[in-house]
Amino acid sequence: MSAATEANVTATVVRLKLSLLRNGLRQSGGRKAAYVASAVVTLLFAVGQVLGLVLLRGTAHADALVVLLVAVLGLGWAVMPLFFPGGDETLDPTRLVMLPLRPRPLVRALLAASLVGIGPLFTVCLFAGSVITVARGAAAYVVGAVAVVLALLVCVALARAVAAANIRLLTSRRGRDLAVLSGLVVAVGAQVVNFGAQRLGSAGLGQLDPVADVLRWVPPASALGAVHSVSEGAYGTAAGQLALCGVVLAALIAVWARHLTRLMTSPDGSTLHGAESAGRERSSTRLGRLLPGGRTGTVMERSLRYVWRDPKTKAAWVTSLAIGLIVPVFNALQGTGSVYFACFAAGMLGLQMYNQFGQDTSAFWMVAMTISSTRDAYVELRARALALLVITLPYATLVTVLTTALLGDWARLPEALGLSFALLGAMLATGAWTSARFPYSIPQEGYKNVAPGQVGLAWISIFGGMAAGALLCAPVIVAAIWLHTGPDATAGRGWPLLPAGAAHGAALAYAGLRLAAPRTAARLPEILTAVSKA
Amino acid sequence: MTSAAVRVHGLWKRFGQQVAVAGIDLELPAGKFVGLVGPNGAGKTTTLSMVTGLLRPDQGTVEVVGHDVWRDPVEVKARIGVLPEGLRLFERLSGRELLAYTGRLRGVPGAEVDKRATQLLDVLDLAGAQHKLVVDYSTGMRKKIGLAAALLHNPEVLFLDEPFEGVDPVSAQTIRGVLERYTASGATVVFSSHVMELVESLCDWVAVMAAGRIRAHGTLAEVRGTAPTLQQAFLELVGAQGRDAGTDLDWLGGGAR
Repeated sequence: MSAATEANVTATVVRLKLSLLRNGLRQSGGRKAAYVASAVVTLLFAVGQVLGLVLLRGTAHADALVVLLVAVLGLGWAVMPLFFPGGDETLDPTRLVMLPLRPRPLVRALLAASLVGIGPLFTVCLFAGSVITVARGAAAYVVGAVAVVLALLVCVALARAVAAANIRLLTSRRGRDLAVLSGLVVAVGAQVVNFGAQRLGSAGLGQLDPVADVLRWVPPASALGAVHSVSEGAYGTAAGQLALCGVVLAALIAVWARHLTRLMTSPDGSTLHGAESAGRERSSTRLGRLLPGGRTGTVMERSLRYVWRDPKTKAAWVTSLAIGLIVPVFNALQGTGSVYFACFAAGMLGLQMYNQFGQDTSAFWMVAMTISSTRDAYVELRARALALLVITLPYATLVTVLTTALLGDWARLPEALGLSFALLGAMLATGAWTSARFPYSIPQEGYKNVAPGQVGLAWISIFGGMAAGALLCAPVIVAAIWLHTGPDATAGRGWPLLPAGAAHGAALAYAGLRLAAPRTAARLPEILTAVSKA
Repeated sequence: MTSAAVRVHGLWKRFGQQVAVAGIDLELPAGKFVGLVGPNGAGKTTTLSMVTGLLRPDQGTVEVVGHDVWRDPVEVKARIGVLPEGLRLFERLSGRELLAYTGRLRGVPGAEVDKRATQLLDVLDLAGAQHKLVVDYSTGMRKKIGLAAALLHNPEVLFLDEPFEGVDPVSAQTIRGVLERYTASGATVVFSSHVMELVESLCDWVAVMAAGRIRAHGTLAEVRGTAPTLQQAFLELVGAQGRDAGTDLDWLGGGAR
């Protein structure tokens, strides 16, 4: 292939990438607004980061911070293709497999195309800001310019190599399941960063230095390490760090090119789906035997299976379980908590009762075909609530006991438990009712939990429901307050609130299910339409 | 049993400005293999959804084996089986689990469900994939497991929306065999399709739909009339005759490139 055609391929692929970016603007109103807003926010964030980095210039430990930042950004590039495989359509080389292209020009073209976009722009801003933070002297700026380019190329090549190596996973069902769990990684990562930042805040940035000493030699951070080395006058070290970066870049491109060649000459992953799960007997009876018979047991069994098997449901549950535990327990650990924070677990888990039929997706028709009376609808809803209680009741109890133990406030355990149970009952009641009244679709792919156009509905359902839930618990809350502020308040008198709260919760749940059942039975086609939009 | 399996009267459905079904009156005979044919967008799916109670009509009544679908759902839902098009199944269950779930939800006793499920999985050639999740099934396998779920409670009337769409010839033959055995016992199958050869070879009775209306209905011979094939008769009925693409694509094919 001649040089002219190679340049042509690069130009074509870059133009393709630009068209894809432009087409992001050619969507319906809401999505267009979201697209523009996310771009603007990203850029504003980048500008803020650059300003912050420039202000850091000259402060102690700034170099360590910069190296860490670049390393984290590099890590982000590495994991991004795993969680957002649909993020960059030119990333999927299988789309180009039918074209008569050789690997070498293709690699060049795809690398060039990867440099176009908001992500690379954001990365360049941060890298440039980092150079400004650590560079001292003209030589350092020259090295800095090289370092920015090199580090960006390493990031992009890393993303491409990871994507190419895992394309079989990414185009399979398991890969898409993984992508759905990406929100979780972000949430947990945010918690880790939060706690890390708190520790740094109390212990000082000096804690970073040992980590930074290692990362200084790990590309792409080593490129920024080189800028620091030049500023210090250690030219040899700088050359070594830059060279390391270059070697890693070459290696990444080689790995990527090899995978690309293999991909373009072998069948794609979408036809090799699920071979690993074939033939494995799924233990269907063990769970079933423990559950009651009839519709109740059947529905409970399916609901519980879905908690584990459906990525969307699993992500929602894990999030609820994690946050329900983290908030009360971590607050108790830091000494700022209260036993009443344990109610958080009940509240978070009760949320899973919301939008029950949306969780079914359009498969709800199978349920709708078997509901022909209010009684059927009641049994269906009650079974779903029972399935939820199988997990929620022990978990909420555990979190409450754990929080109490950490705080040593055993005198308040009964009333905290009573409040938890009352809240759980209220959430089940409002959840059942809003499931029937305000159902909405949950897209199965990607990390969104509401279909476009139904966001308002979801908000009404969740926040209206939660407010109503809190209101329904008011008698128990008032009783708890009265016990502590009343004329003869003592800490040990809260025990009647345990049975009272549990009874209140059970009564609320029963009433909620009874109210929701006729609505469900009367609105089956409307519910099916509402949950089939994604 | 009355002589009509399904009686539709004055059925209307609009989606915003668009009229999907524009006043259908129809009586489908019981014990027959009934085909609902029409081009894409004719309103077949909308009609079947309204007949089976999955979509509420704007106007009109539907009776299945003598019971009103909207006033008497207890009687109707127990007597019909449905395989809709474009709606999911509970795909995170294995094929066998899906049948066990559907059968028990339908109120069939557990042991009986398991016995029927085993037989259906065998006949439909799904026994080897019964423990695989439905999400990993191919299109043909999904149609077959959907059919099995629709047959499990032995309904009187079976509604199938495009049961052969995207199905390989081997699976299609299997589905066909099961349906023929089922109608031979006196049950009714109503299915939609736009593959005329298939309808012609399977059905005793046909209704032709276009633009939300019934254009013709009756036995196969009545609808075919003087036309040599159902395909020809259908094209005349929906007014798609005489379009000639001969002159525009004169560059296509051999000779100069």
